[in-house]
Amino acid sequence: MDNKWKYIICLTFLLLTIFFLPTKVHAHGVNIEYTSSTTIEIVTAYDTGEPMSGAQVVVYAPDDPATPWLTGVCDDEGRFTFSPDTSKPGTWAVQVRLAGHGDIVHIPVGEDAVASGGTGGYTILQIVLMSVCVIWGIAGTALYFLRRRA
Amino acid sequence: MRKAVLILTTIFLLAATIALASCGGDGEATGTLQFHANGEDFVREGFVSKDGWSINFDHVYVHLADITAYQTDPPYDPHVTTIIDSDVEVGLSGAYTVDLAEGGEDADPILVGEVQNVAVGHYNAVSWQMEQASSGPAASYSLVIIGTAEKDGESIDFTISVEEEYRYSCGEYVGDERKGIVEDGDTADVEMTFHFDHIFGDFDIPPDDHVNIGATGFGPFAALAEDGKVSEDLASLQGKLSAEDYQILVGTLPTLGHVGEGHCYCDKQPQS
Repeated sequence: MDNKWKYIICLTFLLLTIFFLPTKVHAHGVNIEYTSSTTIEIVTAYDTGEPMSGAQVVVYAPDDPATPWLTGVCDDEGRFTFSPDTSKPGTWAVQVRLAGHGDIVHIPVGEDAVASGGTGGYTILQIVLMSVCVIWGIAGTALYFLRRRA
Repeated sequence: MRKAVLILTTIFLLAATIALASCGGDGEATGTLQFHANGEDFVREGFVSKDGWSINFDHVYVHLADITAYQTDPPYDPHVTTIIDSDVEVGLSGAYTVDLAEGGEDADPILVGEVQNVAVGHYNAVSWQMEQASSGPAASYSLVIIGTAEKDGESIDFTISVEEEYRYSCGEYVGDERKGIVEDGDTADVEMTFHFDHIFGDFDIPPDDHVNIGATGFGPFAALAEDGKVSEDLASLQGKLSAEDYQILVGTLPTLGHVGEGHCYCDKQPQS
């Protein structure tokens, strides 16, 4: 390929890059921001249908199941609303108690609700380091025997 | 010199491989899981029944067997299903007669037993059998309640025994703290809770509370007393209580078992 065509190709890429670079347009600009969130409303009542107004609510996130993520109180109609942190997918638990009566409900949050608790398996760093070690071991052994033959 | 460096490097990397491998893998992390039984303050401190009898308990024997804790996902809900589906479960071997009134007013819940080296995770379901004891203070019964009831200057020593057997399947503990979360090297506990206000009712809550509506109270037992004493079991009570009171009583027994304030599914077991 002669130099003329190289220059033409480079220039074409340069122009395309300039034209398609994202730019800010100021004339009649409209700035719209949004936040994606999930709101969960629970409605509590006794078996009789009477709302559990004033019931204590404790919300637990899946990444730290032993520590309350949020506490609150049901309103007069037994309702309680909260927005879970969607960066913490899994099963959220909401406990409601009032005067010796109580229950807990489990709510999956996120596309792939990941079960909380439990440990095991290897981290990516561990896998990479172990792979390096194994490869080094194989290569080292091969080099050792090749060197002896030589 | 290069050969020595090569050998040392290889040895170091092999050691690193072994060390890294030992840091991971399933089943490595373990802890201890304890099983408690709790009759709550109603049993330890006594209480006033829905019909005004002041009741104090000397002994409340329950005979517990087939005690098992489970990690369930999705969490077991006794309102929805009757069978606990779990890949991880821990059983406490043996059968135990436990006195829920042991230790006085300030006593902690009774430690029934513990299992070591259990898999870490959240044990969010529990099941147990309340069955007839073959020996001991509750022999031939699954539940024996011994105490004294007083009202308007009248005092009655009572023993109420239950020969029926029940299997309770419960979800997650509901209370001041979350229970059953076993972390590596640590100890967690699960609790089998028994609500005796469901039998006698509770003077301190409204008469139309569902607990009081469904409770027998103590009056029907007091009516059977002779010389200030009453000692009955379900078989004898069936012939002595009114049909309505007897049905209320047998209806309360499946509701005794809880996990804190959390509910259980109960199967009445066929008599052997």
